[in-house]
Amino acid sequence: MDNIIEVKNITFEYEDGDEKHIVLSDFSIDIKRGSFTVILGHNGSGKSTLAKMLNGLYKPTSGEVLVDGISTSNDELEIEIKRRVGLVFQNPDNQLVASIVEEDVAFGPENLGHSPEIIRQEVDEALKAVDMYEFRNSTPHRLSGGQKQRVAIAGIIAMKPDCIVLDEPTAMLDPKGRAEIISTIKKLNKENDITIVLITHFMEEAVNADRVIVLDDGKIVADSTPKEIFSNIGLLKKVGLDVPQTTELLYRLKESGMNVSTDVISIEESAQKIYDAIHLEEI
Amino acid sequence: MSVLEVKNLTHTYDGNTPYMHDAVKNVSFSIEKGEIIGIIGHTGSGKSTLVQHLNGLLKPSDGEILLDNKNIWENPKNIRAIRSRVGLVFQYPEYQLFEDTVYKDIAFGPKNMGLTEQEISIRIKEICELVGIKDEYLEKSPFDLSGGEKRRVAIAGVMAMQPEIIIFDEPVAGLDPMGRASVVKMIDDYSKKYNATVLIISHNMEDMALIADKLLVMNKGELALFDTTENVFRQHEYLKSIGLNVPMVTQIMLSLREKGINIPNDIFTVEKAVDYLMTFVKGGNHNA
Amino acid sequence: MLKDITFGQYFDNNSFVHKLDPRTKLILLILIIVFIFVSQNWISLSILIAFVLFSMILSKIPLRMYLKNLKAILPIIIFTMLINLFYSGNGEIEPAWTLNLFWGLKITSIALIRALYMIVRILLLIIASAELTYTTTPNSLTDGIEKLLSPLRFIGLKKVVHTLAMMMTIALRFIPTLIEETFKIMNAQKARGADLENGKLLQRIKALIPILIPLLISSVRRAYELAEAMECRCYNGGEGRVRMKQLKYCLKDYIAFLTVFAVCGLVIAINIVF
Repeated sequence: MDNIIEVKNITFEYEDGDEKHIVLSDFSIDIKRGSFTVILGHNGSGKSTLAKMLNGLYKPTSGEVLVDGISTSNDELEIEIKRRVGLVFQNPDNQLVASIVEEDVAFGPENLGHSPEIIRQEVDEALKAVDMYEFRNSTPHRLSGGQKQRVAIAGIIAMKPDCIVLDEPTAMLDPKGRAEIISTIKKLNKENDITIVLITHFMEEAVNADRVIVLDDGKIVADSTPKEIFSNIGLLKKVGLDVPQTTELLYRLKESGMNVSTDVISIEESAQKIYDAIHLEEI
Repeated sequence: MSVLEVKNLTHTYDGNTPYMHDAVKNVSFSIEKGEIIGIIGHTGSGKSTLVQHLNGLLKPSDGEILLDNKNIWENPKNIRAIRSRVGLVFQYPEYQLFEDTVYKDIAFGPKNMGLTEQEISIRIKEICELVGIKDEYLEKSPFDLSGGEKRRVAIAGVMAMQPEIIIFDEPVAGLDPMGRASVVKMIDDYSKKYNATVLIISHNMEDMALIADKLLVMNKGELALFDTTENVFRQHEYLKSIGLNVPMVTQIMLSLREKGINIPNDIFTVEKAVDYLMTFVKGGNHNA
Repeated sequence: MLKDITFGQYFDNNSFVHKLDPRTKLILLILIIVFIFVSQNWISLSILIAFVLFSMILSKIPLRMYLKNLKAILPIIIFTMLINLFYSGNGEIEPAWTLNLFWGLKITSIALIRALYMIVRILLLIIASAELTYTTTPNSLTDGIEKLLSPLRFIGLKKVVHTLAMMMTIALRFIPTLIEETFKIMNAQKARGADLENGKLLQRIKALIPILIPLLISSVRRAYELAEAMECRCYNGGEGRVRMKQLKYCLKDYIAFLTVFAVCGLVIAINIVF
């Protein structure tokens, strides 16, 4: 099967007293196996709800979500779905169960009832994949935010999922922690062939994605490659997203009449674009 | 005359306290009234420990803190009065909300200062007007507000004490661009109206370039640099060596310089960069 | 005060004692505690002292850790000592000497010896218990308790035992987090002028509200998020769960059991002889 996740015309509503809130309505997306998808949206755009629908933590009010062809509404196969699609949350502290790193990572495989030898192997591999193996006997309390979040990711990887959904995994981290997480995610996608769905409001985190989806008010307002999305900075700003300063500069230069495109993010690429544009003017 | 002076402040960290803070070693600086100071440095560089000394939450192991030339620990009994003069807004301040209405929560600080109900109500009205908290919000429960609104209420709770110095630890962490802009505006409005001195801890160099007059750089518990924002960002190589960056726009300008384009090394904001690059293109006054 | 309590902390160190099965350590600790009170004279007690000292050396935990721990409970020790010191009892044996103090208080040689005896017992008890927590991770301690209680499953309490163990694991994981959070909230409210140090009892209790409410709210939020995270990691109440670290008695455990049995036997023998 080509798609690991298929979201088909789902609606999600909840009631708060007398008020009825519609978070998502008639919403559909497919996630390709092995792909790296970034979902961009500001706070309250429905992106966290969507994340929790992808592994059946929330069930759609109508429509269906298929994981590897299995509907998340199928209660009997609940564990199978959760094993296939792992979810990583914003606050690393509130995801760790045990006070020893390796025992925490073992939590998922233990629940799956694997044999102790297999669990040991899965735990070691997972910790190595996020580069936290040397901290296996440490306690989460002594780790930095980025390290804790990597342990949380290892806890998911140890279950050998096909796909990991990360809901704003860097929002509470400092720049160093953010960089650690982004490079870990990239590596898992490239080297371990894990499908990644990264939900964030930092545009620069989308730069390595195969596909970027922009969400606003529970609806998809754009769905394309990073290059294409980034060339439409006006839209990203309109839906209240974080635009990095490099892009902001290119955007403003373009508005002022310089012939530059805004589809790059790194410092080097941006400098090169401006350099080329200046030389172009000269000719 | 300096409003706040830190003299040889040292804080040794006893490895056994349950609430961890980093060490600070022999730090001295002084701040003039009305200045906006950015404090930058790695996680663990001692920034948080430093600011918790300024309002007497931590007591120096050595050295002293002078507020209007008076040691804040001269009379330890008065330390609570110091805290209403030097306000401190912690990271994620919305987690400290506890009252059942927004009004009562903002009133907590002024009440602790011993003000009368009437004085408190005047102050709350004043601060809410300044930072744009609408009247109908005052009787709501703070827990029914959105994340960004909670943050603003929590900050207003410190501002209502009308401190002459106000310190923020990562005031915009976790907010989206809209929430960020409203918090930055709030800080700006407050400092202008009360001619208050502001200290802001942040990892975001781009924000710092926009707001801060001066930057205080901490590294491994020591004061690495304390100078105007321009002068600090000019030392990009040194900053890089201690793991800090200059704003992205400055990095682009530096990269253009390396490519042989004659651009000054002190462009720190997008505005300035656009102005400069556009006149550059139009005037053709380069020697690339 | 809080910072002096090292009790309940694990110190990573690969010693003989660390490697023992947690069940072994739990059972042996209980045995030793019982025998500290079974012992009736200095000779049998000194065997226990020798054994506890020996196990301390074996544990490779620095002595200062034990001392710090004792410092924290010093008031209890002093209190016990005073009670025993001034209680002269109706001794049938004439004390070797009597020291008369003010207000008719007197210390007799017998009382002094008895007080010392009591203190040595308390010290042994605390050191032995501390050694268990220093050398056993909270998690393996929990596993040990869960395993030891597992016979309860025959009377239909399997779920209860697992739930209790899970609760302990989570509690241990979040204690440091909550302590840190408490200090953060305290500092934040102090920065808003809250007075936590002064005032009458009622005022002080009232002053705790601004700390307890945020702490409660954040704990509920944490609990909720943790529950979701656990669900995402395929937790369904412990059904079919297999532990990575299986408990298994090995040669070390048998040696430890035999040694402690020998010590206990010796204590009984001495009690009978003397």
